[in-house]
Amino acid sequence: MSTYSMKDIEWAKINKDVLASLESPRALFWVVLAVCALLVACGVAAEVYQYNEGLGVALMDRPHFWQLYISNFVFWIGMSHSGTLLSAILLLTKADWRKPIYRFAEAMTLFSILTAAIFPVIHLGRVWNMYWVLPYPNERGIWPNFRSPLLWDAAAITTYATSSALFLYVGMIPDLAICRDNAKGWRKKLYTALSMGWMGRASEWMAFRKTYILIACFLVPLAVSVHSIVASDFAMSIMPDWHITSFPPYFVAGALYSGCAAIITLFVMLRYIFKFEAYMTTEIMDKTAKLTFAIAMVWNFLNLGEYASIWYSNDMYEKEVLLSKFFGAYAPVVWGMLICATVAPFAMAFEKFRHNMWAMFWLSLVLQLGMWLERFQIVSPPLASNHEPWTWAVVWPGTVQLTLTAASFGWFTMLFLIFCKIFPSVSMYEVKEMVFHRRHASSRTEMEDIGKIKDEVVRSEEGLA
Amino acid sequence: MRRKRHLLFATFEDFDKARDAVTELKMLDLKEMVVEEIELYSPIEHPEVEEILGDFHQPIQRFTFFGALTGALCAFLLVAAAGQAMFTVQPQGGKPVIPLPPAIVITYEGTILFGVLCTLAGFFIYAGLPRRMKKHYSQKVSEDHIGIEVQMKPEHIEKVRTAFKNSGALEIREVTQ
Repeated sequence: MSTYSMKDIEWAKINKDVLASLESPRALFWVVLAVCALLVACGVAAEVYQYNEGLGVALMDRPHFWQLYISNFVFWIGMSHSGTLLSAILLLTKADWRKPIYRFAEAMTLFSILTAAIFPVIHLGRVWNMYWVLPYPNERGIWPNFRSPLLWDAAAITTYATSSALFLYVGMIPDLAICRDNAKGWRKKLYTALSMGWMGRASEWMAFRKTYILIACFLVPLAVSVHSIVASDFAMSIMPDWHITSFPPYFVAGALYSGCAAIITLFVMLRYIFKFEAYMTTEIMDKTAKLTFAIAMVWNFLNLGEYASIWYSNDMYEKEVLLSKFFGAYAPVVWGMLICATVAPFAMAFEKFRHNMWAMFWLSLVLQLGMWLERFQIVSPPLASNHEPWTWAVVWPGTVQLTLTAASFGWFTMLFLIFCKIFPSVSMYEVKEMVFHRRHASSRTEMEDIGKIKDEVVRSEEGLA
Repeated sequence: MRRKRHLLFATFEDFDKARDAVTELKMLDLKEMVVEEIELYSPIEHPEVEEILGDFHQPIQRFTFFGALTGALCAFLLVAAAGQAMFTVQPQGGKPVIPLPPAIVITYEGTILFGVLCTLAGFFIYAGLPRRMKKHYSQKVSEDHIGIEVQMKPEHIEKVRTAFKNSGALEIREVTQ
């Protein structure tokens, strides 16, 4: 069903379809959930092993103190960007095609942050000392050093996670009330508590809309600041290939890019698993793909700009790292990234491709692979050839790091699917609004057309007379 | 002893009919002061409701503004206090006790965090949430109907009922609380 016939969907049917998704997903849901649970179990085993044996089992040694855990951290933080940021921007610009897809995109943000937040803890090694980053009066008499960008990270991510969770929750309250009205048993209790007595009163709607827009206004600059701060973890150092002025916008563009690709993956997945064909239409996919393509081009521009600025700077250390990236031990990673993230998105220039759901699904996975490789080539190669030649060493991530990486994908997907099984992943009230406005717009157009025909008839009759 | 409240709750097929009903009630009210309070329930937001029910005074943006201001102040003070505390235990090597660039970052994040939290507080206050569900609440309102609840004196019940019927009410419930 196309977006343009969405105006014909009855409101009661919207409730029925979305509520049905909470009860009876396709069998694939359980298969994916089981695979994800298995991956998480493997990850827990790997972490327990690393906890007992020390970080050496993850092959983290000089000069590779930062490797896959930090790459994964940056990757997941990046993925968290598109959901809330795009939802907020599209809300403020009144783009109504966001309505059927923003809920799961916002949920994606929240679970990506929760996944990202695990990696600094794992990376720390001494997990039990994690609470030292919290600023509180303590017996050690030492406060966190706010000069460190790592502390900025802690502040930014806490703010982003809290604000995104609240944005998601506030936007869900009217739908939770619908769930409450139709649920039984434990679900009824849960939705009653979460909907807090929402009844759709005019005063509730007015306060709701105002709040939603105000929070969206905060979230747009916040999302940009969060990834800029993550970029500062690198850019504030004096390492060649990290100490780059354009890193913050480069990171933000990369984050949006990988986030959009993830939205496409989840779009196709949810459409199939929860039978949302009537709501997640090819027209919406088309718009999302065009947006992803545009962001991919911005990211490519910044990437090439970074290479150019290093090349023309004539800084010998910077140039050495750049050349070693393209022709050294990590060259497959860099070329892989360029193929996946620079060449592959051009497929989205073709309408036929954009309208093929499964083609878009596989392409989105390729784009995400490209962005994951991008994170890895940012973190690892500069450590392998920095200022001090005696530290030069090529280290590839071992089994423990790779297992924890795979587990993070399982963890994210598991949380996301559980969310979609408990909470409506399509916003019922916003889709109703979309249907309502489109129906009114189309009846207005029909009235105008009838008016024009009448005028023409009158004019031709006058002419005849 | 609390005075008994007499309410009529009617559901309508669409917003246009509900608007007609409210307009008729307003006309009735102008003549005889029939209506004490009107509440409109809908499954989606209708911004035009302010035209018929009057402005809703909900200055949530004040919560946002003062929340953001408080957040900025608290975050800056946190960095300043941490810097001051570190000064007594760690040598600074000529660096400023309170470093300004990091303070800006933390202040920025604090501004947003408190701004969002206070906006949410404003939302709960002005939306009147959390609250108990009304007994006469109809589930149809969360699906596809529009509900109108009118509080009036018992002698005016029939007039309101007639106005509802004239505007095409699907169901009318009488409630005494």
